Amino acid sequence: MYRGIILCFRDQGTLNPFQRGTCCLMRRDTSQSLTPEISLRLFTPTCRFWTEKPELWPFPDPHWAIYWPGGQALARYLLNNPEVSGGRKVLDLGCGCGASAIAAKLTGASRVVANDIDPSETYNMIGSKPDAWDLILLGDMFYDEDLADRLHKWLQTCITTHGAQVLIGDPGRAQFESHDIRRLLHKLAHFELPDSVKEENYRLTNSTVWCYNYKPDL
Amino acid sequence: MHRSSEVKHVASYLNTRGCECFGQPCESHCPVLTDRTIHVQLKTFIKIRVKPDRTGVVTDGVKHSMNPFCEIAVEEAIKLKEKKLVKEVVAVSCGPQQVQETIRTALAMGADRGIHVEVSGKDYETLGPLQVSKIFAALAKKEQADLIILGKQAIDDDCNQTGQMIAALLDWPQGTFASEMTLEADKMKVVREVDGGLETIKIKLPAVVTADLRLNTPRYATLPNIMKAKKKKIANVKPADLGVDVCSRLEVLKVDEPPQRQAGVKVETVDDLVGKLKEAGRV
Repeated sequence: MYRGIILCFRDQGTLNPFQRGTCCLMRRDTSQSLTPEISLRLFTPTCRFWTEKPELWPFPDPHWAIYWPGGQALARYLLNNPEVSGGRKVLDLGCGCGASAIAAKLTGASRVVANDIDPSETYNMIGSKPDAWDLILLGDMFYDEDLADRLHKWLQTCITTHGAQVLIGDPGRAQFESHDIRRLLHKLAHFELPDSVKEENYRLTNSTVWCYNYKPDL
Repeated sequence: MHRSSEVKHVASYLNTRGCECFGQPCESHCPVLTDRTIHVQLKTFIKIRVKPDRTGVVTDGVKHSMNPFCEIAVEEAIKLKEKKLVKEVVAVSCGPQQVQETIRTALAMGADRGIHVEVSGKDYETLGPLQVSKIFAALAKKEQADLIILGKQAIDDDCNQTGQMIAALLDWPQGTFASEMTLEADKMKVVREVDGGLETIKIKLPAVVTADLRLNTPRYATLPNIMKAKKKKIANVKPADLGVDVCSRLEVLKVDEPPQRQAGVKVETVDDLVGKLKEAGRV
């Protein structure tokens, strides 16, 4: 759930070895993102694994330890437009570090669920029967073609079943730009990434928030 | 001529570092180049051995990595993409399954997708610049590439031929030994490092450029980029699919280690020196 928040606020003594190791490795992100008002514990360039080969990483594929540019744009948009999540039931799917979920909560969402998969969990929400979400957030989720296909189908189910609004944040990844979903999107906001984020994410210079206008064929 | 000055530079650096590879640069270590590359390469230092049958060097169990000049080429391509001057960067490598790791490194540096041209076994042992350049020429036509950037030479064979051959096969202009590249509309301004100094040329696209040492300093592949690179596509292609015959027209007769240096003799005085030289029939 709120993986980042749980690690920040829980007493060290109650953490399992995985969580204790995570706390030691992660540094606090202070200001180098689109949302300096949200404080997160992340892997940063000062961590010793930053340039190591994957075999030497302490965790396999720690997607949750990076504040991805797609999620940054989404969180910034929510903070700039509190009426978007105010009073609504929000799902942050593939939440990663949880920043979009935090932004939704800060701007008055009535209920927020941050969902992701990792080695210790087996429940993958994509493909399951959707709950009645008012707003579904997807930050930087279109980096894998297969995942994008499954996600696209599940989003259509969510929209037709419960009329959910879907917001997508993406920094223009090749797999996103070439996917079918792209022609069904309406641009809401566009942000230039801070210099440090550009440096960390090679070739990405800005990030966009899209609204998914899916209308099922009648 | 450029090559001999380059070899001098290589040899002098290797001597300083005490490399045991007899003054020959080899794929797994001591490529000479930037400080960063030297540091990385020293970690994987190994002694190159000639095979007992003298048909080549031992490559089994030897860690392979991206040719340092090719790292510079990849970096330059990504810089062009960052400046929004090119639409897409495709990283290509020819070889057995292991080259996919090298392509992934290029993807982690920022390339959009990869192409692995599968060549293995005996074909890979005899793969040389002519076959590679034919493969690249075929791919350039298939992918409708506007620009091919590669390292000026591989540090294992030092051929310095592939880029030039690609340009000849495609009848494209070439800018070799580039230390600077600037895209100006449909022309590429290339500053070339030549023996007499620097030469500036302008070539029309599509073109081939080969990267020299001072073109840039390649970036590291970092954790978030390595993660995202795992999901980028690498297409698999065989030379036959491109209509290329990888059969080599060259036969290696033998490979030998350079002769061992003989121990020198110390003398006390100039007269002793002259005496020794007379004994050896040198004066």
